[in-house]
Amino acid sequence: MSQDRRTVLMSRLENRLDAADGTASRMGVLCALTVEQLAVSGAGATVLASLADGDGQDPSRGLVHATNEVSTGLEDLQLTVGEGPCLDAFVTGGPVLVADLTDSHTRWPGFTPGALALGAAAVFSFPLHIGAARLGSLDVYHDRPGKLSDTQISDALILADLATHAVVTELEGHASGDAGWLADPHAEIHQATGMIQAQLNTTTEVALLRLRAHAYTHALPLIDVARRVTDRQLRFTDEPDDDQQDTPA
Amino acid sequence: MTTRREQRLAQTFVTLSDTLVDDFDVLDFLTLLAERATTLLEVTAAGVILSDQRGGWHPTAASTEDAHLLQLLATQTHEGPCQDSITTSAPVTSSDLSTEHARWPTFSEAAVSAGFHTAAAVPMRLRRQTIGALTLLDTTPAAVDTNGVQLGQALADQATVGLLHHRALRREETLSEQLQATLHHRVVIEQAKGILAEAGNLTMQQAFQLLREHARVHDRHLTDLANSLTNRTTQPADLLTARPDPTPHNQE
Repeated sequence: MSQDRRTVLMSRLENRLDAADGTASRMGVLCALTVEQLAVSGAGATVLASLADGDGQDPSRGLVHATNEVSTGLEDLQLTVGEGPCLDAFVTGGPVLVADLTDSHTRWPGFTPGALALGAAAVFSFPLHIGAARLGSLDVYHDRPGKLSDTQISDALILADLATHAVVTELEGHASGDAGWLADPHAEIHQATGMIQAQLNTTTEVALLRLRAHAYTHALPLIDVARRVTDRQLRFTDEPDDDQQDTPA
Repeated sequence: MTTRREQRLAQTFVTLSDTLVDDFDVLDFLTLLAERATTLLEVTAAGVILSDQRGGWHPTAASTEDAHLLQLLATQTHEGPCQDSITTSAPVTSSDLSTEHARWPTFSEAAVSAGFHTAAAVPMRLRRQTIGALTLLDTTPAAVDTNGVQLGQALADQATVGLLHHRALRREETLSEQLQATLHHRVVIEQAKGILAEAGNLTMQQAFQLLREHARVHDRHLTDLANSLTNRTTQPADLLTARPDPTPHNQE
């Protein structure tokens, strides 16, 4: 397991996107790559549709892409019965890895029989989030029971990072850098996000997007902008183009 | 080992075991463990880093949330005693960081300029895997001795047990689920620290102390409280106005 794995998967994703030549969505290609890398039966990605500065109400979920009808069916089923791996992943904050669905009747009495009937035997859900900024989930299933190996889990986590980055850039409306910022061990990006959230009295998602937009507009590394915020040299205001700086940049 | 130290040791393990009995907060547990490591091993600072299971390492708990310490802990996710202890899966010590330029060029410089003189790191092991490490830093020239390293290893083992034990009573969960959830909650806590720091004009360290004290006084999980601040079901004012003492205060 090494940083190289991230580079490998990133270049595989870019190669596939190039080969698709604009005919497939980034998330669709990512789901197909996930199926291939993890050697599973299907993958689906959902995003939380409502990211606007709302009133904290339960956001609606929207399926972005699934590699087959079983994956689509599993997503729909979770919405219908209101339980399942990707909903649990948001509660626990970590992935939900179920190697044998037949053990899950107690955990998900509504979801389990339906999922088995659809043809899933194992389900694995990886949340797409940056702390409290919840963006969606990457869900895979397999048609026979069995655990994911350590290598498969590592790949799945990297693919979930790539998916998280894809959702963020989709919201931003422009390509900006790679998913490496998600692996930064420095806490300032998250601290700055919290400070901006308080400055604007908004959601964590909106605060994070504002932080990233500032870095993009000023062509600065995200961590540098974050440090200006935590050093209290940069404040954000309600006007997107009017971020207040106490000292000249 | 002195008798006083033995008493503290016994006390620490009783406290840690007590914490493990009920449904507990992993990050609060790891912070407590880092704090106890400094007292027991008579070092200035301690920090826990965890594997992100995709090639990276993240500072997850520290004896104090001092910005410089956290920065240093982040630096050593790439290079330093902690990385070496992860690679070798064995304890690594340095009795004089100022002479370690060849071994750890970036880390030794950062650690020395932060005032540290010695360092030690012990791996958090689980079967074949190393899932993290406990780092000990001291500002005095007295190196962590063999006893200290053994004790440090015992604490690191406790940290591993804590990670795995979390929610174990509810259902069987894998290491990956636990590790990733812990790293996720750490990010939420950083975001909540930012919210409090901004709303109350506090340092990040003060914000963390307030978060932790409020959680303790109101019998809430640290991570639940952090979550409720970020999703705005708890307002910063709820913590700030309830503060018994407006001056920054140290642990406990």
